[in-house]
Order: sequence, then C-alpha cells, then structure tokens
Amino acid sequence: MRVLVTGGSGLVGRAIERVVKEGEGREGEEWIFLSSKDANLMSAEETRSVFQKHRPTHVIHLAAMVGGLFRNMRQNLDFWRNNVFINDNVLQTAHEFGVVKVVSCLSTCIFPDKTTYPIDETMIHNGPPHESNFGYAYAKRMIDVHNRACCQQYGRRYTAVIPTNVFGPHDNFNIEDGHVLPGLIHKTYMAKKEGKALQVWGSGRPLRQFIYSLDLARLFLWVLRDYDEVEPIILSVGEEDELSIKDAVNAVVEGMEFKGDVIYDTSKADGQFKKTASNAKLRKYLPDFKFTPFKAAMKETCDWFEANYDIARK
Amino acid sequence: MDGPMRVLVTGGSGLVGRAIERVVKEGERREGEEWIFLSSKDANLVSAEETRSVFQKHRPTHVIHLAAMVGGLYRNMRQNLDFWRDNVHINDNVLYMSQEFGVVKVVSCLSTCVFPDKTTYPIDETMMHNGAPHESNYGYAYAKRMIDVHNRACFQQYGLRYTAVIPTNIFGPHDNYNIEDCHVMPGLVHKTYLAKKEGKPLEVWGSGRALRQFIYSVDLARLFVWVLREYDEVEPIIASVGEEDELTIKDAVDAVVEGFGFKGEVIYDTSKSDGQIKKTASNAKLRKYLPDFKFTPFKAAVKETCDWLAANYDIIRK
Repeated sequence: MRVLVTGGSGLVGRAIERVVKEGEGREGEEWIFLSSKDANLMSAEETRSVFQKHRPTHVIHLAAMVGGLFRNMRQNLDFWRNNVFINDNVLQTAHEFGVVKVVSCLSTCIFPDKTTYPIDETMIHNGPPHESNFGYAYAKRMIDVHNRACCQQYGRRYTAVIPTNVFGPHDNFNIEDGHVLPGLIHKTYMAKKEGKALQVWGSGRPLRQFIYSLDLARLFLWVLRDYDEVEPIILSVGEEDELSIKDAVNAVVEGMEFKGDVIYDTSKADGQFKKTASNAKLRKYLPDFKFTPFKAAMKETCDWFEANYDIARK
Repeated sequence: MDGPMRVLVTGGSGLVGRAIERVVKEGERREGEEWIFLSSKDANLVSAEETRSVFQKHRPTHVIHLAAMVGGLYRNMRQNLDFWRDNVHINDNVLYMSQEFGVVKVVSCLSTCVFPDKTTYPIDETMMHNGAPHESNYGYAYAKRMIDVHNRACFQQYGLRYTAVIPTNIFGPHDNYNIEDCHVMPGLVHKTYLAKKEGKPLEVWGSGRALRQFIYSVDLARLFVWVLREYDEVEPIIASVGEEDELTIKDAVDAVVEGFGFKGEVIYDTSKSDGQIKKTASNAKLRKYLPDFKFTPFKAAVKETCDWLAANYDIIRK
C-alpha cells in the first residue's frame, strides 16, 4: 500500500504516524503524512497536484476545518462550505486516481440531536444535528452520502469511522477554539503556572465517551486493512465508560497535579448534554481490543503538553 | 436596496424558468425592473469561474435559482453520485457568488421529493431534515436539502435572508419530455401524443396507484414572483395545491388521455417502479399568506400542456 494521510499533522494524524513507526507499519508500505502546508485541500487543483505527486493506493482522510463549540456557533457557513470542498476534492480525486480505499473521519457530534440512546451507525441521518454546529455536522454527514453514492455508481468501497471525543498529544490546545479536553489541559497548565483558579466553561454535567488518539490510530489501521463495509463504524470505548466533564476535569487536575480552586462558569454553554454511542459493531469485529485506561492516557497527554508547551498548537 | 430589481433567473430556459418569463411578460414585471433568463448556454454553473463571470456581467440584485441537474426516477437511481456532486457545485456557486456580489435575496427551488421517506403525512416545511430521503434519489435529495442548510448558515453568519420554495410535482409547457429521463407528467403527455399518432396503446410505467399533488408551472411562476417580492422567512415554503387536490397517477393519465382525445388502449406496466407511493404536502403556510390564491384547474392546465406539445412537437426537449 501507498497510504496518503490528509490532516497528517493533526491530533489523529500524528497518532497514526506514531503507531505506524512503532510497529504497525508493514513491509514495503509507504506512508505519507500531509499537512495544510503541502496542499490547500479546499482547492481542487492543489488536491489534484498532491495526488499526482504521490499516487496513493489508499487514503486516510482526516483533514477538515474543525473548531470547538464556540467557533462553530459563530461560523456555520464557513464550516459547511470549507469542509464540503475539502471532502469533495479528496473523495473525487481519490476516485479519479483509482484509489482502492478511502477511510474518512466523521464524529458522534454530527448525529441527530433529538434521538434515543445509545446512538449507532444506522442513525446518522435520522434527524437534524445539534443547532450549535450544523454546518460542520452536515458537511461530515455528506461524506457518508458521497461514499454510498460512489459505491452505488462505481462500486467503490470508500468508508468512514466515527470516533467519539478524541484526545492526546499534538491536539489543538487553543482555549477559544479547542475541544473540551485540550482546553482543560491548557487552562489547568496556565492556572497552575499563574497560581490562579481553574475556570471551567459550562456546568461540568454533560457526558462524553473519550478515546485516546493512539487507540484510535490503531483502530484506523485495522479499518483501512480489514473493514470492508461502506457503512461507517463507531470507534469508541463502551457506554459503560461514559464520563462527565467533571470526571474529565478531575483527571486533568490529577494529571497536572493542580492544587488550586476549580470554578464552573455556568453562564457558558454546555453543548449537547449527552451523545452516548454504542460500540457494539466494533466489539463484534474486535471483541478483545484493549483501550488505554483513561487516567493513564490523560497523564501521558498532560506530560506531553508540559514538555512541549512551546511547540503545542495554541 | 434602492431602485428597481435586476433579477437573474438561473435555469431560465427550463419548465419553471419559461413560466416565470411568461408571467413577467404578461403583467408581473414592474416599472424599471430587469429580468435576465440564463440557460446552460450562458454559463456552466458547475464551474465557479463561469458562475462568477455571469454574475460579473449582469450584477443582479436578486436571483431566482432554478438551475439543477434533474432527471426522472430511473436516471436518479443509476447516478446518485453525479446528482449529488453536480448539484452541490451548482448550488454553492450560485449562493456563494450571490453573497459575494451583494445580492439582496436568492429564492432557490427545492422539491417535496427531498423530504424524509419515512414520515407522517402531510409533510410540512419543518420536516425536511427529519430523516433520510427515499433511496431512489438520495444524491439529488441531499444536494437540494443542503440549499436550506446553506441558507440558514448564511443567515446565521451574515444576516442574509436567502430562502427557497418547495413545489410538489410541476407540469406545463417547455418541460423535458424525454421519455427515459423525464418526470411523470411530461412522460405521460409525450407518450400519449406518440400513442395517438402511431395508433398504438399507451403504456404507463408503474401501477398508477402512486399519489401526487400537481402544480401547473404558470401558477408556480406567479408564486415564485410573490416569494421574491414579499416572503421574508429564511425557512422555505411549500408551493402546492392543497391536500384535498391530491390525485393518483391514474387520474393524471385520464386527464392526459382526455386532453389529447386519445381513444386507444391504456396498459399499466406493473413491473416498473412506482417511486414513492405518496408525498402528501401541506400548503397551510402558503394559505396563511395567500388565502385567496387561485390555482388553474387541473384538467384545463393539462389540456393547455397537451395543446402546447402538439403545436410545438418539433422543438420540444426530448
């Protein structure tokens, strides 16, 4: 295989790069990790050029315009348009270049807002997504529509994975724009350094399933090699491992050894209250897959952040 | 904005575009207004550059966006990817250029066929995204739905009040009458014309039991002009006759047969797909705004369409 990884410098891309280097890569395989420096995937021509240059047989498509709750709420049009362009360019160019398989990256945050729980892979399109990020959510959903239509018209078996909340080294730790865990880690680091209280946005009550980027990376490789369905697959710890934001705060506080006050600013939005996803399909395929324990993964991430503060994206 | 409108109509040479052209000419145009009707000859709207050029050339203040890759049931079933991609490109190009060029209002065209397949009836404007569309044309359906997503996001980020109309089954002169590709009414009209001319039976695809609300293109055109001028919501509006005027395909067949005075046999080929069995839409929102709007009676509208096809057979799209 010659595998092109778009969004290769991001949270998940770096994790895949690491697991490939540390033993998951196979004899004769070539892995190319792209970043936005290599190509602006919103441009059809630049996407074409990068495919012409590398001629991949496989693609892991992670590149996207992403942001936390607050940025999404302000810029739904940009999140919709830019992601549709990126996705259409990558998927269409992959098809034109005869790429055998593309594995794209969706998210549980794109599922219907009004729904029963746990959510599963069959439910993605069953209703409108949460109002806070409908632009991003619809753009991601349309990857699945594109995959199904491409299979129906051309027989291609492009597919997608649906992670829950991902965390780990090399994340975007920008406090305004980042997701909940990297935001917490950065803020705890600052609170500790400045001897101030840790201010958490929201009530701490929303529930999430967290998946460590390295675990997700190993699962991406399995999907690329062995998962044959066009229908996407949820990649997550089980429902039994769902945690509140407050649980996550406590793990970060412990991981950073923070001793100060923790204040919850309930004037800030919580986002969706719960997004409980079923990993039954994953467990059907991989009953023995072991996830890294949450506190250990959190400790690794906090340690990485402290050691790499200067170069971390923020 | 100050001054009269300059309205660009994309898809201006199609079924609805020609009807708008006619009603504008026959009295709907106001003093100083300019109406420009584009066709694919003027610009390939799948291309961003060509779309930009046509906006630069005409600098519209308003847009009625009708252009799309469309087809009947059978073509959709075969080419969902093309229907998805081409329509997303067309729609994004038109909506984005409109925003760039300061267009005050865009009225796009959706369809009741994009609504969720599993649903309660009647369907209304709030239900469009409540579930997956019918499997037969999901590429087209999602592309159209995303017009509404774009409109809402554009309003949220920039305050622009772009909106859309949701017609039910449209029919009239200047349709696409290609028997393989076209919609049910033009297909029936063309096939009945040929059956009469060749002295053969009329073969209808499907069982005839499917239910539809039909709207005459000339009535829809008047409603489009009203929406452009007066309808201020971003949420789309269904443009249709009421639920009480829902007909079966067989009713439509009978009206076409009568419209041509066809005397031969009518055969229903039940091996062919019916598509969705019903798509009943509520026009309550329209009636709230326009309680007195009069639709052309169905048989009269069908007769006009049949007469038009017979008189214009050589130039029709087929």
